[in-house]
Parts: sequence; structure tokens; C-alpha cells
Amino acid sequence: MVEAPIAQDEINAVFPKVAETMADALGCDVEDIKPNVSLIEGLDAESIDFLDMVFRLERAFKIKIPRGKIVENARGDLPEAEFEQKGIVTEKGMAQLRTYLSEVPADRFKTPMKVVDIPRLFTPETFCKLVIRAQREQPAAA
Amino acid sequence: MKIDPGLDGKVAIVTGGSRGIGRAIVLMLAGEGCDVTFFYRGNSDAAAEVVASGDGRAKGEQVDVRDTAACAAAVERVAERCGRIDILVNNAGIIRDNQLAALEDDDVTDVLSTNVGGVFNVTRAVVPHMIVQRAGRIINLSSVSATKGGRGQTNYAASKGAVEAFTRALAVELASRKINVNAVAPGVIDTEMSQDVRELAGDTIKAKILLKRFGTPEDVACAVWFLASAYASYVTGEVLHVDGGFKME
Repeated sequence: MVEAPIAQDEINAVFPKVAETMADALGCDVEDIKPNVSLIEGLDAESIDFLDMVFRLERAFKIKIPRGKIVENARGDLPEAEFEQKGIVTEKGMAQLRTYLSEVPADRFKTPMKVVDIPRLFTPETFCKLVIRAQREQPAAA
Repeated sequence: MKIDPGLDGKVAIVTGGSRGIGRAIVLMLAGEGCDVTFFYRGNSDAAAEVVASGDGRAKGEQVDVRDTAACAAAVERVAERCGRIDILVNNAGIIRDNQLAALEDDDVTDVLSTNVGGVFNVTRAVVPHMIVQRAGRIINLSSVSATKGGRGQTNYAASKGAVEAFTRALAVELASRKINVNAVAPGVIDTEMSQDVRELAGDTIKAKILLKRFGTPEDVACAVWFLASAYASYVTGEVLHVDGGFKME
């Protein structure tokens, strides 16, 4: 199923709460959480911080974000064998990543890119989109 | 100098809490003022007795730790009710002793899915709460069998060896969140679970225990109490042996 595009207005609506939640997880000032800053290179986030952010976002927005699925979701409908080969993202895979992570500045998509390095691309806006997708998948309140 | 153990008001989950060592842990933590929820697989009468003995601070939940979804749901109920989870004691465990060549598939899978799978299932559900809290104590019950070879215990020994390796790995993973992860390795303890072993070779085993007696469930509960308390705030990734010196022989 093709996903409806996420509008900038939707991102703007959730961003303040996402930024506040991420600042709590990372122990930094909320002003440091810019929409397109790299979480790893710009904010020194480690893998446990990603989990921490996911858990806090789930609480803050009362949503469920599937564990360990962020990279898998980025692959979209592309079969794994077409997305990556021997741990390196293929050309098709890179195109898919650019679409899925459209918020990430183009110059950060360096090739060859290892699959394990995909989280290096993630930004606060990536997490805004995660939240929005989770909200969309949630059954409407009665 | 008197140090407050810091357990009053803490929220604890203890798996396998209706009998034996688990029961003693539940009652000790409840006696210290913890709000304790214990999981038990099937013995409702034993669970009711623990609840009745728990000073109003022990609650039983029938949960099979092999069931991932049931563990997640039960942990969420505790978190919803109490707002946090401070202590997890992974105690649920079974034995199916036999010589390796005589073990059935079920003897292996039941032991591994309960003793190791159960630890994964409950811990995975609890850890998100502790990560967000930036505090927590996880205490896993291992066994002297993890380090001392015992005839007829390949399945059990493998499961407890896994628990100790799990403990060390998780301690590394969670240290930055101020979550301490340790294990307690009991020796031969006077419980229903070890009854067969004690009846079969009690005198021989006792002769090899430096302190010349079997342990009590309370001996083990005291070690868990220590690791859950403020006294152990600088201890992580350790295995505390409570075996009367059995492993030394």
C-alpha cells in the first residue's frame, strides 16, 4: 500500500513535543534539537539513546512504535536483496532511502553506505515522521 | 553509619514467586516496603498463600514466562498501576534432570524456554520503563550449575550459563542508564525443586559443601535483597554465589 505523503504542517505540529522529548532523552537543551541535525554526529546520540527516544515518544504521544523497525521501514516495499548486498546499500536502496528520508539533506547520503550506518542519517524530523506514521496506524479513538 | 537500603516504596516484579526461593524473595521485598507483583505459572493455592503473607504488598499474576505477549501485558499492567518499575527479579526456572543421552526434546526446550526465554521475555518488557526512569535493578537467578559440572544437568547448566552471560552483556548495555544488572547463583537450596537431588545424593553433596548444610530460600533472598538495595549501587555485571562454598570443592 502506498503511504500518503506527510505534509510539512503535520511535521510542524508534532515537532515541539518531539524536540522536548528528545532533549529529555539526550540530556541536552531543547534549542539544540533542530529539525535536520544529525542525531549521531550532531547530538552524540548512541544506540541506547534511540531506544530511549522511542520509549519516551511512545509515552508522550500514546502510540506504539515497532521495535527495531526503523531501518526496515526505510526499505519500504523493496526486497532486502534489492535494498542491500553484503551490508552495502544498493543504488535502488539509496533511491528508496532518499525518498523515505526526504528530510535529510542530500549531501549526507554518502556512497557506498553500509546498512549499519543508516541511523547516522536520522534527524529529529525522521522521528516526527515516525510519530505521524504511528498515529496514522493507530485505530481512531471511539 | 547507617545506610537506608532504599527499598521502601519501590516497585518490584518477581517471576516464579509462589514457591521456594521466589516466595522468600517476594516476602522479603514486601517486608521491606516494596510493592511486589509476582508471576506464577499455575499453583494458585501457593500464590494465594504468598499474597496472604505479604503484608498487603504482594500481588500475584498468573503468567507463563514463556509467553512473550503475556509477559508484556502483565508488565504493562504493573507499570500502569504503579507508574514505574524499580526492581526485576528473574527467578522463574525449572529442572528436567537426566543424562544427556536420555533427554527428550521437551526436556531441553522446556528448560531453555523457561529459564532463558522467560528471562528475555520479562526483561524486554521491563527495560523500556527503566531506561526512561534512568534507574533500575535487574537480578537474575543463576545456579552453581552454571560453573560447576553436575551429572544429568546439561540442559539446566546450559540455561544458567546463558543467564550469567546475559547478565554481563545487559549490564554493559544498560550501565549508561544507571540500571544495575546482576545475578545470584544459589547452590543446593532446601526447596521442592531440589528435593529429588537431595533425596538421591543429599549426604554426598552436603559433604562437599564447605558450610555443611543446604541453603535456605531466605539465604538466597538476602543476596537478592542486597543487590536490590542501595548497598549495591556500585555493583553491576556480577554473579553473587550463595552456595555455602559448594563451588570451591
